[in-house]
Amino acid sequence: MKCFSRYLPYIFRPPSTILSSTCHTEADIISTVEFNSSGELLATGDKGGRVVVFQREQESKSQPNRRGEYNVYSTFQSHEPEFDYLKSLEIEEKINKIKWLPQQNAAYFLLSTNDKTVKLWKISERDKRPEGYNLKDEDGRIRDPSTITSLRVPVLQPMDLMVEATARRVFSNAHTYHINSISVNSDLQTFISTDDLRVNLWNLEITDRSFNIVDIKPSNMEELTEVITSAEFHPRQCHTFAYSSSKGSIRLCDMRQAALCDRHCKYFEEPEDPSTRSFFSEIISSISDVKFSHNGRYLMTRDYLTVKVWDLQMENKPLETYQVHDYLRGKLCSLYENDCIFDKFECVWNGSDSVIMTGSYNNFFRMFDRNTKRDVTLEASRENSKPRAILKPRKVCVGGKRRKDEISVDSLDFSKKILHTTWHPHENIIAVAATNNLYIFQDKVN
Amino acid sequence: MITKGQKRKYSPEEVEATDRSNPIWESQRQFVFSVSLNKYQRGQELPEPSLRRSVLIANTLRQMSLEFCNAPAEDEVPPDSSLSGPEEVQQESPSNKIPSAKHHPAQVVTNSSSALTTCSGVSSLHSSHYAAAAISSILTALDSNIEESPQAVQRTPFQSLENLSRSSEGSATWVKQGVRGFVGNLEEWDECRVRENQMEVTRSAYLTDFTVEDLFQDIDTSLLDKDKLFGLRGCGVGHPAGDDLPRYLLPISPSASSSQYLSNQNLKCLPSFSSFGPLSSSPASLPTIFSPSSSLFPGQNQGLDLEHLMEILVES
Repeated sequence: MKCFSRYLPYIFRPPSTILSSTCHTEADIISTVEFNSSGELLATGDKGGRVVVFQREQESKSQPNRRGEYNVYSTFQSHEPEFDYLKSLEIEEKINKIKWLPQQNAAYFLLSTNDKTVKLWKISERDKRPEGYNLKDEDGRIRDPSTITSLRVPVLQPMDLMVEATARRVFSNAHTYHINSISVNSDLQTFISTDDLRVNLWNLEITDRSFNIVDIKPSNMEELTEVITSAEFHPRQCHTFAYSSSKGSIRLCDMRQAALCDRHCKYFEEPEDPSTRSFFSEIISSISDVKFSHNGRYLMTRDYLTVKVWDLQMENKPLETYQVHDYLRGKLCSLYENDCIFDKFECVWNGSDSVIMTGSYNNFFRMFDRNTKRDVTLEASRENSKPRAILKPRKVCVGGKRRKDEISVDSLDFSKKILHTTWHPHENIIAVAATNNLYIFQDKVN
Repeated sequence: MITKGQKRKYSPEEVEATDRSNPIWESQRQFVFSVSLNKYQRGQELPEPSLRRSVLIANTLRQMSLEFCNAPAEDEVPPDSSLSGPEEVQQESPSNKIPSAKHHPAQVVTNSSSALTTCSGVSSLHSSHYAAAAISSILTALDSNIEESPQAVQRTPFQSLENLSRSSEGSATWVKQGVRGFVGNLEEWDECRVRENQMEVTRSAYLTDFTVEDLFQDIDTSLLDKDKLFGLRGCGVGHPAGDDLPRYLLPISPSASSSQYLSNQNLKCLPSFSSFGPLSSSPASLPTIFSPSSSLFPGQNQGLDLEHLMEILVES
């Protein structure tokens, strides 16, 4: 397992963060992070509905050891708080998910969503501006046509780089329940948006209609025992998608089978171990995130205590199970009481599908190497913010004698949780969101 | 919230609690039960609680409640009750219907009498009944007023007949799962009702913050069928508005008459999945903006729907 060190800059913050380093506003809490398909851009969304996009600097030949840093590229307000007049409820502007579209021209496109509405944003650069108009002055004032004696052709003059973000599509009024995930299809023409009970299929060009492809809402809501927690398209098969449920199952659906994908073609579920059964068995089995591997052969799921890797050809049990923080198994009662048991952690693959990563409490995050079966616990904290410092592995002491560098389970800070992480598609660069701070770590250059 | 460095009080969860005859298991069960009900109530106070969270809490309550219904009777139960017979039989019955089959293997039932002696007996069974009422309240469908009618939902994205039959199969699968999961065995629910009727209503040790009147909000009995009020037994009733009443009176489902009965009890102060519907606080007569007959959500029809909506509101 390679060590991860930190290069400058070590901490990013959303632009509107207050000055103090120890407190923050609610709106600054980062709610999603996502690299684009090339890794050049990193987008974050926060509870205030803002999207901040970071761009990697070009690598400098004079400093080959220093990788490109990520600097703020664009900031825009993606969603505003809305009011649902029929329900008399406010719709939060919190960005639940951001997904990039693969780049097809000079502009960048991303989808961002809050609880109800998905928006397609175009981020484009402008570094030239036309000058020499005939009908207006350089400052914009309209010229009197009678004063024009000759015509000239406007020419493009260089200007300071300006990055514009414009909303190109708004996909709304399709979800009764809260959207928890979006996923762009590999055909680059469609995407799905998923709420607690339904999955809708959209065309990127059409905003006034969507197709409902999964609906698990029972006719009698009394009989509701399961909700959808996440859904994702297969990375290569444009007809295949998977969705996870609160009961710990994953369903793989093929859109070619029928227009309505209520019938799954594969059902992944691991039988419960009776020896570990408790009152909270179902709650901790609820899957909070599902991710296909880049090669499309595996599926990764995150439930409260574990990360599981599934082979798409084997439905009855996972291929691999990794314990994220099994020391919490004896604390489930307290975690249920303080609602931490409902936290939704995400999980990510690295570019080669050999390492998986997920977050935990106390600003810890964990990495598991699938090949060597080694794992490491790292911490995203300001105390470790020294340039070129190598992150020291952390260890949680579950009982007995605590060593010097270990932290005991009772000392964990459950208010500091790492729910959102992302991994560069090609390199060992990770972005970790810890409340209102964004940490970017890069692999040590040998 | 467990803060850094703060020493927590002893709580029973550290103890291995898989043995149901263990008194610690019982205390943990009581603790979880009370916490679940508190969360339940707090969730109801939120303007828009999380559906996932509510479903998980409801499933937890359901699990504990059904375990109670399956538990053998306690010795303190009056001999003239009808409990003794069926519950003695239940002692060695491993095939009790348990919701969510994956998470509730057949051996869940407490079979040992020692577990009963440690239970609160009557109050435990009452709490299980309250939980049953709470669960049915949680899971009340109120957005069906807007989203869909009691008939089968017509989902015709491609206007293909073959898809219609497929969709009904799919939804039937979910419904069956839900019925099996929630109601379990209809006989069990009848069993709980019989116990509740024959026993004195006592305040549960876990529900110290609750009274029967708290759980069952006022409903105007004159508007309800007396048969359906069987369980209310003279609780003070009234209801917020006549138009809201249909929300609480769900259409009778042939597969879950008991659950429907339970849902007809007061639902307002207990969380219901109605709050997740598009029009949780509106009269039932509002038109369906989100049309169940089509998966299309055309923006161009908003104007017409709004006009129609305004007409309905003015008339009501």
